[in-house]
Amino acid sequence: MKDWIVILLRSGSLFFLTLALVRIIGKRNLSSLNPFNYVNYMVIAIITALISVNVIKNFILGLIALAVWVVLPIALDYLAIKSKWIHDLVNGKPTVLVKDGKVMEENLIQVRYTGEELLRELRSKSAFNLADVEFAVMETTGDINVLMKSDKKPVTPYDLGRKVSPRPESQTVILDGNILNEPLSNLGLNQDWLKVQLENIGVSPDNVFIGQVDGSGDLYVDLFDDSLEAPLPKVKQLIYANLEKCQADLTTFALETGDSQVKNMYINNANKIEQVKGKLEPFLLR
Amino acid sequence: MTVGSKVKQTLSSLKGIKSTLEVYTLQTGDQETSGAYKESLHVINEVLDDLEKRVQTLEFEEPQYKGL
Repeated sequence: MKDWIVILLRSGSLFFLTLALVRIIGKRNLSSLNPFNYVNYMVIAIITALISVNVIKNFILGLIALAVWVVLPIALDYLAIKSKWIHDLVNGKPTVLVKDGKVMEENLIQVRYTGEELLRELRSKSAFNLADVEFAVMETTGDINVLMKSDKKPVTPYDLGRKVSPRPESQTVILDGNILNEPLSNLGLNQDWLKVQLENIGVSPDNVFIGQVDGSGDLYVDLFDDSLEAPLPKVKQLIYANLEKCQADLTTFALETGDSQVKNMYINNANKIEQVKGKLEPFLLR
Repeated sequence: MTVGSKVKQTLSSLKGIKSTLEVYTLQTGDQETSGAYKESLHVINEVLDDLEKRVQTLEFEEPQYKGL
């Protein structure tokens, strides 16, 4: 066989083989590889390249080497799931660099980090002030993760003592003018519902680039024609405003009537609406 | 506007709120949210009952404004 045919066949078959192998090894993010994973991928790449350009003459021997470098990591991964000891052996342990706001110098030396580098990494996590850092840890991948002091953390609704409604994820139901049936049926809705909603806001399905339904069932659309203004779903705010109006009406009636029994009934009901408003506020407004 | 028609207006807007909330109760997949909606609907129903009774009384007092 001519050389070029050999190379062609080898490269072609290895192309698909490597594609399959990398898929088998998994979809772990390249940036979260620990150093050994990295070496592993490099070896696979180099072996593949060497077989492909016929430096390793014996195809079978090359494949054996490749198989070892693919099977062993997978086996190790499985063992690491089963055993904490093997996991620590393979992946190592995270190293605490800052604890209780104090830099652990011994650990810094252990991971061979200078103070300068530590500060740089902290800055990249937008901790510009060492005094703001409560805890920092170097993960096995070499990333540094930072916990800020509790008074320097971003404010959450929990800190403010405010109740917020749970927001399930939105589903994309229209893409490029095409109605997607699967997300719709996930929400328990159908095409007819969607058509009615689109009619309500006065756009045709062809004009919609992206349409999303949020967890409470409101539709948000982005149109191809940007000169058209698609209304934002405001139904919930409207309900809340209407509740406020009803409460005000009831209070007015209570003031206007002369009958004390009726007055009490109105005041009582105005209070009930007030309660409902308080209960629904997190769900309707936030 | 007479008192009767004002009360009727409030009654109907409260009914509107009720029906929209009912739709949301069905649409939302979240237990906590739909629970809060249901409790609110219960209270709104009580208010609606009271208002309906009041409308009846008013219609009895001012029969000339009966109906819509």
